[in-house]
Amino acid sequence: MSAGRPVRRWLTGVGFLLPNIAGFCAFTLAPLVMSFALAFSNWDILRHNLFRKDAIRFVGLGNFSRLFSDLQFWRDLGNTLFFLLGLPFAIAGSLAAALLLAQVNRRRVSTGSALVVATVVLVFSGLVLLSGGMAQRGVVFLFGTMAAAVLVSGVLTGGTLYRTLFYIPHFTAGVATFVLWKKLYNPHTGPINAALRPLLDGFSSAVCAWPGFFALGVPALAGCAMVLLALVQVRRLRRRWDDGEAGAAAVAAGILALAGPAMVFLHWHGMGTGIAGGLAGTVGVALFGAIVRRPRRWGPIPTNDAGLGSELSLALIGVPLLLLLAGAIRAGPTLPAIAALGIDPPDWLGDYAWAKPALMLMALWAAIGSNSMILFLAGLSNIPPELYEAADMDGASAGQRFWNITWPQLAPVTFFIAVMGVINGLQGGFEMARTMTLGGPAGSTTTLSYFIFTEGFEIGRLGYASAVAWVMFALVLVFTLLNFRFGNRDAND
Amino acid sequence: MRTTESNPSPSTARGLGLHVLLTLLGLAMAAPFLWMILASLKTAPEAGDPAWLPRQAQWGNYPEVFRVIPFLRFAANSLVVAGWVTLLQVLTSALAAFSFSRLEWPGRDRVFFLYLATMMLPGIVMLIPNYEIMVRWGLMDTFLGLVLPSAFSAFGTFLLRQFMLGIPRALDEAAEMDGASKWRIFWDVILPLSRPGLVTLAIFTFMGNYHSFFWPFVMMKTVDNYTLPVGLLFFDSEHGQVTHLLMAAVTMSVLPLIVIFVFLQRQLIRGIQIGAVKG
Repeated sequence: MSAGRPVRRWLTGVGFLLPNIAGFCAFTLAPLVMSFALAFSNWDILRHNLFRKDAIRFVGLGNFSRLFSDLQFWRDLGNTLFFLLGLPFAIAGSLAAALLLAQVNRRRVSTGSALVVATVVLVFSGLVLLSGGMAQRGVVFLFGTMAAAVLVSGVLTGGTLYRTLFYIPHFTAGVATFVLWKKLYNPHTGPINAALRPLLDGFSSAVCAWPGFFALGVPALAGCAMVLLALVQVRRLRRRWDDGEAGAAAVAAGILALAGPAMVFLHWHGMGTGIAGGLAGTVGVALFGAIVRRPRRWGPIPTNDAGLGSELSLALIGVPLLLLLAGAIRAGPTLPAIAALGIDPPDWLGDYAWAKPALMLMALWAAIGSNSMILFLAGLSNIPPELYEAADMDGASAGQRFWNITWPQLAPVTFFIAVMGVINGLQGGFEMARTMTLGGPAGSTTTLSYFIFTEGFEIGRLGYASAVAWVMFALVLVFTLLNFRFGNRDAND
Repeated sequence: MRTTESNPSPSTARGLGLHVLLTLLGLAMAAPFLWMILASLKTAPEAGDPAWLPRQAQWGNYPEVFRVIPFLRFAANSLVVAGWVTLLQVLTSALAAFSFSRLEWPGRDRVFFLYLATMMLPGIVMLIPNYEIMVRWGLMDTFLGLVLPSAFSAFGTFLLRQFMLGIPRALDEAAEMDGASKWRIFWDVILPLSRPGLVTLAIFTFMGNYHSFFWPFVMMKTVDNYTLPVGLLFFDSEHGQVTHLLMAAVTMSVLPLIVIFVFLQRQLIRGIQIGAVKG
């Protein structure tokens, strides 16, 4: 280690870095600083351009305070966060796909049995073809043939074909997907409504045939399901508390997730928000007390929140489910009257209430077969098989194997996907809205990135748009920190 | 005993069930894609009909697309832009990753942390200043302006660094003993061994840039300079009612990606398995 060495080493190191860091400074670091400065300026293309050179002024927090009273900003922020609700489902979907695909190579299947099933499918679809005209039934035959072909070659090649099929959404990513789904969602000529129409007709005639069942039975069933789910969750929480797997915070989060939909439901039934909230809150506190009370020991409530992350991820999936059930209870009594008039499939992208769910459904399709699935597949194959063998020795059930081995072992992958999903989700939505809905109807699909585009590139308020971009960055930061704190990253420590 | 020995029969039944399930789900995933291809073969009146099958396949729709929009031009633009971005990004990322993973120099880890930190930034924050830079440098509506900002990537550097860390040190130490320069070690030892990582990054970059929309959309003003995504949007807004031609155009636009995936999928997955996400 002579005196000249460190300098030389530094020169070599930086020399290799040079091409990259030059571009990094020019197109990432410098714009970053510039954007930060812009966010505090009143730069507006209308006032500061080639022909009119007003001085660009520093306006302090002016842009940000204007944001607070900008109703459009709040609406778009709400839309963006609403779209983010799809992320847990997207992650769950791609994980499920990866789990299924990973199973293929573990289970050997004889080619003969696959051939038998394929022949049955082929004969059946051939019969369907014979019974109707080519144009009408042809598609059943087509799908039958394809199913048979996929099944046989899937058994023979062991998974590659399925993987390619699942990965198909990735090829049509971006504008191609959006243009395609715009046609699929077309209420008059699209295949989605064409498939829904007979189903809904059948449904409404069923409702007309048994109006009593749908008016009373369905809400009763949904109510029972809701109570059952709540009971299972309370029992689960109770057990986790007793085992010391979940702290007070986790139990409170679990109860809150149960009480939230109940509150919305009570509110729907004409009760004031205050009364509904009070009722739900009382029940929640009572439940919390019932779970946390320990007959043997009256010491201070432990505050460790080891289970908080998993309770929150469960709530992210469970709350929409409970709300759907609440919707079924609410809609049940009016269903016969609606069905008598005939139920039409929704207008999807043209309908204020359906546009967002339609886009989220499309995003779910795209997310299941995305890079997340490939990442999960890679993560699954990195789990040492000895872990599963040990679990089998102990007689673990499939659920236990998943929660105790697969889920913690996948933690770094899930964490990476969740963080990237939040970053992309918060700044996404522009291409989708621009291609499919132009942000409409009535602004229901305008996201923050669309807002930035409109403000910055159409109206030309570059300073204001930059301020919005930095608010977005702050949001990303908050979500990422939450992810770090509560996300599934156990295996990292 | 029962659980371990009686495997054959229940396992076959469950395995077959798994295959049937995967077949059904796979077809469901592929159904929109299938509809697209079938719709691209319809006649104009048939395109307004929700039935899936065309009465007779209209292969003439595909050449027709070339007459309605400059499709080949768009495709060439996209391929050239995505190709250059991929080449430059893989090259600069590999150099930087070598510096971060194999060379010791003061301040290295701090610079690397800065790279990592910027990965979390929403790209949209940089969009407006980058746009201004392009206006200043007179690069609006040029391909150079389209390629340059994407040619340097913190993500690519991170990915390749993780990959190179997995290559045994003994290899370059041996080369150093033989008196090889750092450059020779990079070019002749590390780079060939990083091939799966390079391929993975190249596929990610190519696919991402082939699809990228926001930047070309604000940068390109001349129709002849449009890339495919912008061109498809242009087609949709100009001739959106012509479903069959639009679907033919979309089908052709995804073709190169399918070819790439079919040929490189094994390497792609191996590359991810070895290096990418380890915390």
